Amino acid sequence: MDCYTANWNPLGDSAFYRKYELYSMDWDLKEELRDCLVAAAPYGGPIALLRNPGRKEKPASARPVLEIYSASGVPLASLLWKSGPMVSLGWSAEEELLCVQEDGVVLVYGLHGDFRRHFSMGNEVLQNRVLDARIFHTEFGSGVAILTGAHRFTLSANVGDLKLRRMPEVPGLQSAPSCWTTMCQDRVAHILLAVGPDLYLLDHAACSAVTPPGLAPGVSSFLQMAVSFTCRHLALFTDTGYIWMGTASLKEKLCEFNCNIRAPPKQMVWCSRPRSKERAVVVAWERRLMVVGDAPEGIQFVLDEDSYLVPELDGVRIFSRSTHEFLHEVPVASEEIFKIASMAPGALLLEAQKEYEKESQKADEYLREIQELGQLPQAVQQCIEAAGHEHWPDMQKSLLRAASFGKCFLDRFPPDSFVRMCQDLRVLNAIRDYHIGIPLTYSQYKQLTIQVLLDRLVLRRLYPLAIQICEYLRLPEVQGVSRILAHWACYKVQQKDVSDEDVARAINQKLGDTPGVSYSDIAARAYGCGRTELAIKLLEYEPRSGEQVPLLLKMKRSKLALSKAIESGDTDLVFTVLLHLKNELNRGDFFMTLRNQPMALSLYRQFCKHQELETLKDLYNQDDNHQELGSFHVRASYAAEERIEGRVAALQTAADAFYKAKNEFAAKATEDQMRLLRLQRRLEDELGGRFLGLSVHDTVTTLILSGQNKRAEQLARDFRIPDKRLWWLKLTALADLEDWEEIEKFSKSKKSPIGYLPFVEICMKQHNKYEAKKYASRVGPEQKVKALLLVGDVAQAADVAIEHRNEAEMSLVLSHCTGATDGATADKIQRARAQAQKK
Amino acid sequence: MAFPHRPDAPELPDFSMLKRLARDQLIYLLEQLPGKKDLFIEADLMSPLDRIANVSILKQHEVDKLYKVENKPAFSSSEQLCFLVRPRIKNMWYIANLVNADKMAGRTRKYKVIFSPQKFYACEMVLEEEGIYGDVSCDEWAFSLLPLDVDLLSMELPEFFRDYFLEGDQCWINTVAQALHLLSTLYGPFPNCYGIGRCAKMSHELWRKLEEEEDGETKGRRPEIGHVFLLDRDVDFVTALCSQVVYEGLVDDTFRVKCGSVDFGPEVTSSDKSLKVLLNAEDKVFNEIRNEHFSNVFGFLSQKARNLQAQYDRRRGMDIKQMKNFVSQELKGLKQEHRLLSLHIGACESIMKKKTKQDFQELIKTEHALLEGFSIRESTNYIEEHIDRQVSPIESLRLMCLLSITENGLIPKDYRSLKTQYLQSYGPEHLLTFSNLRRAGLLTEQAPGDTLTAVESKVSKLVTDKAAGKITDAFSSLAKRSNFRAISKKLNLIPRVDGEYDLKVPRDMAYVFSGAYVPLSCRIIEQVLERQSWQGLDEVVRLLNCSELAFTDMTKEDKASSESLRLILVVFLGGCTFSEISALRFLGREKGYRFIFLTTAVTNSVRLMEAMSEVKA
Repeated sequence: MDCYTANWNPLGDSAFYRKYELYSMDWDLKEELRDCLVAAAPYGGPIALLRNPGRKEKPASARPVLEIYSASGVPLASLLWKSGPMVSLGWSAEEELLCVQEDGVVLVYGLHGDFRRHFSMGNEVLQNRVLDARIFHTEFGSGVAILTGAHRFTLSANVGDLKLRRMPEVPGLQSAPSCWTTMCQDRVAHILLAVGPDLYLLDHAACSAVTPPGLAPGVSSFLQMAVSFTCRHLALFTDTGYIWMGTASLKEKLCEFNCNIRAPPKQMVWCSRPRSKERAVVVAWERRLMVVGDAPEGIQFVLDEDSYLVPELDGVRIFSRSTHEFLHEVPVASEEIFKIASMAPGALLLEAQKEYEKESQKADEYLREIQELGQLPQAVQQCIEAAGHEHWPDMQKSLLRAASFGKCFLDRFPPDSFVRMCQDLRVLNAIRDYHIGIPLTYSQYKQLTIQVLLDRLVLRRLYPLAIQICEYLRLPEVQGVSRILAHWACYKVQQKDVSDEDVARAINQKLGDTPGVSYSDIAARAYGCGRTELAIKLLEYEPRSGEQVPLLLKMKRSKLALSKAIESGDTDLVFTVLLHLKNELNRGDFFMTLRNQPMALSLYRQFCKHQELETLKDLYNQDDNHQELGSFHVRASYAAEERIEGRVAALQTAADAFYKAKNEFAAKATEDQMRLLRLQRRLEDELGGRFLGLSVHDTVTTLILSGQNKRAEQLARDFRIPDKRLWWLKLTALADLEDWEEIEKFSKSKKSPIGYLPFVEICMKQHNKYEAKKYASRVGPEQKVKALLLVGDVAQAADVAIEHRNEAEMSLVLSHCTGATDGATADKIQRARAQAQKK
Repeated sequence: MAFPHRPDAPELPDFSMLKRLARDQLIYLLEQLPGKKDLFIEADLMSPLDRIANVSILKQHEVDKLYKVENKPAFSSSEQLCFLVRPRIKNMWYIANLVNADKMAGRTRKYKVIFSPQKFYACEMVLEEEGIYGDVSCDEWAFSLLPLDVDLLSMELPEFFRDYFLEGDQCWINTVAQALHLLSTLYGPFPNCYGIGRCAKMSHELWRKLEEEEDGETKGRRPEIGHVFLLDRDVDFVTALCSQVVYEGLVDDTFRVKCGSVDFGPEVTSSDKSLKVLLNAEDKVFNEIRNEHFSNVFGFLSQKARNLQAQYDRRRGMDIKQMKNFVSQELKGLKQEHRLLSLHIGACESIMKKKTKQDFQELIKTEHALLEGFSIRESTNYIEEHIDRQVSPIESLRLMCLLSITENGLIPKDYRSLKTQYLQSYGPEHLLTFSNLRRAGLLTEQAPGDTLTAVESKVSKLVTDKAAGKITDAFSSLAKRSNFRAISKKLNLIPRVDGEYDLKVPRDMAYVFSGAYVPLSCRIIEQVLERQSWQGLDEVVRLLNCSELAFTDMTKEDKASSESLRLILVVFLGGCTFSEISALRFLGREKGYRFIFLTTAVTNSVRLMEAMSEVKA
């Protein structure tokens, strides 16, 4: 372990920086990096190289090649650049490659070189060409800033939601600025540029000259500037070899450094850790790398090869043709444990554990020492934390072993930090693997979150690993495994060389009915790739019909959509499809489709009934549904037509329809109604009063009530009113008139078809007992008792009942016997009953 | 005398939660439109709304004035208008007219439409066509279950019956599924599910789909309600068409119970004012007589009156302290009881006046004859006379339908003559009513010599025919065979009478129809619950034309307590009558079950017939 701190380099008194190798690159680069346009994504992201970037003097045949590699140098994509000359490359936060062309068009590629989309940075850029471009990251996403040939800046703060902003002019700017950068402050993107000895800050409203506080005199030009990863700090490199470091707001100077190298550096980036007080920048020249900070001496490294710096959250990645290294400030926990002669609790614990393994008693001594100070919990915590910051699994293990060893001597040490660290490290080691090539540090991983990491694995099509991680971390299915499977399926549908059946089957086999997987999303993707048939097959697996319909409509499978919608039972969905169909098909086809779907048909009919009556008629016509057509016209004759002619005409149409429907009854009834209407009209004209709209019955009644007996008789004959009804009708009407004479005459006109009980009833209703009695005698024998009871002649009723020897009638009479007056009658019946029983 | 439940009868779940839920949601929606606003309420929603949130609650949430949505314009001066409506197209026109008038007058206001229980795409489309979609904001008030009583939940959707069973419109099925879903999220999953009827089947399937989509929510919950039974109204029209003779049913038939309350007119209150009375289990007097056959009610009420008097009389021998106690504790309760008692006595008198006349006896006699299937000719004549005398259009229609269903359709001669008479009596527009009744299978013509198999072969012939519209016709004509007589025999719906049926101590559910008929719907439920499946009922199911439409859905649920397994939710799609409720309450008492009723609306024969009638606009 003596050599463990060998690669530690002190910067000043308080901080160490170390550089270690992540990968040895075997990407077989033919060119030097300096001959390429290079872009590397942060968070251990991929590297894009454009070889032979468009140089005008080169012949057109030597087209540039765009290559994409993982951070470990595994080739991911390679394509011949056929578009216009490229100025700048950069990765968006979603790991999409943005390629800025000279004409201001930005082409967007996926990680695997698949073209996604393109957009233009505007006309002004197109006219003046792009001089320089930067891709930068803000909290909203990734932005593009462009310096045009006219020395104006145009930027978009978020390429996902493209809003171009032309920055104000810099007064007196005649040539390109010596250096410039984008800065994000207060959620707004600014541009800082250097022209000669002056600095200007551009925001979207104004251009203001700024001066860094405490800048050393004698500066005539700025050669390089760098904004830190978190946009909080700014470093400036001047032509005097002087470096100013301060806050990005330019309000405060942190420190300065004079490196005495006047050559312009190739790159300058910040190297700091979150929550660390140390500030340092890394400056790279052709063959030299220097870490400088608040210390009189910087740390120098020699670069054997052409290298490229990638700023990270907690350090700097440096890659060249052969290696990929990471340079960072040694974290506190590691420093405490590994610093030479450190007496920190973690250091002691590590030592104790080692002695314990050697079966040496010193283990106990160390342990006691920690325990006496009561620092064992801190010691364990330190070891756990330090393990997180170690790149090499061996070192992680020995630190974790120490932590685990220390934990044994603690009563109540919550295990979750230890467990979680073990899990995290397993995940990190897996993705740092050369084949995967995502060299995330622990801090970066925590910042990125597991969800984003999974997304990135999915983006690299590393589905099995992603699923294993989900299962290992026991993520809920919906967020974890199902999401990844869905992505896998979306990728699968793009494999054009596999047949639709095979793809659909493969997808269904893997996905089954995993919760949270939306087959319709996958189908939408398949449709997006032009595989409509596959999309339909996939939709078959979608359990929610509601989800199937919109896509089917989009694919112009409206009829299928209709049956799916009907299956779903959601009438709204059916209706949506119907309206879609209505616009898409001609009327005839639309109606035909409806005919085969009764549920949709009735839904549409309901709608038409309220909204489009004419369509309803057409619908019935189309179906030859004469019955409904007839009803439709009958309804119209009441609802829509005011004039009698209109009503009759509507009824005529209805009658015709009913005949066609072979519904003679309805046809006849309708014709009767026409006849009645005409007649009523005539009656109104001749007699006045209201007749229109009355029923036959009411018309006759009205006539009798107004003394038009002749007409009433005529009408009754015309409309074949049955005798019984006529008698009832007449009786009721005459009783209403209280025309007792006429009633009597009527009763004697011939034998009543309704008997004479109704006469009794109706008289009693009008409380005319005298008249009632007249008819009671004429009531037939079956109803005699009832009639007699009605007129209140209980005694006689009893006699008749006894005579009839009818048990039911006797009880009926008995129930009418009230009080003392009918006492004798009641006795009589009782006696008769007793007699009947004897027999 | 009222139904005391067996001591082991399970407790009913607390459904007041549904009210609170609806109220909170409504308040939330009202608060979405901050500031003073006028509220326009659809007439049909007024009573249900009143049961959820009264005017003072509305006022608390800055509702200024209340208007009724009706066919005349309302003059509101508020800057914000809120409409609370059912999703109907005519309401959309009303709103559109109002908004467009404002536009013409150059006036800008805020409009919000709250659809209850859900919004339909068709409505939004009308708003769009009228050009005001952008001017109004739309929301849904998912208020689909109103607890009318401790064991009765109503969706208050009387239009469900016509929309589904006549027009074939399935738009409400989703609402039913949502309501079931809500119940299962609140009261735990339902381990056993039975159902019969097309609508029942569709609702069940849709509901299951909803559960699947949101699974996990009800998982692991203890089921509170052990069984669910879904039943389409068209499985049993007969029961709904009969005159009701249990007290609650009679009150409904006579005074029309609306949303759980009834307006007693001056003839009942024996004052010059009408009185709105809530009819539910909280009314102690009503609760004791609601399920009783009417012939017992009067006796019971007079007994009650005597008891009450005795309690009042007790104060005579009291000393001061006892008197103080009496006044502070008992008097109020007694007075309340007194008030209710006099109301119900008044109602009884009023019913007696109307119903104990000879006409009513004859009517009941005819009904019973129809149910039992004897003296059909006399009954037909009676109906004809009924029509000729213009007794009541609705009553006449009801009797015709009852005749048709019990007799498997009218014989052609009667079919024509009764219809002709009816048109002459009540107006020719009822031609449309008859067309409706035929479509719904309520009033049909017997095809001469047409056996079931003949109809079936006709259908199969038509199936090969591409004309799908005709197939549906054929199917409905198939469905029209009600087979009531055969079903009645199979299920023993007409109890054998030896001697007098003692209505005071009922033997079976037939008591709700004076011992003449066991309600078919209730019998089916009884049989299925007994078997825990449809096993052995194949023949009945076939006769009901529901061969494909009877289902059982059991989930293995070990956590269901024996208590919950005796709690049964019965869902009536298309409405249920108070007689059916009484009958099942009786069954529950006998078997130690408790029934909970969920209905699209409480219905009776009059409402059923009115829904089918075409009245001149």
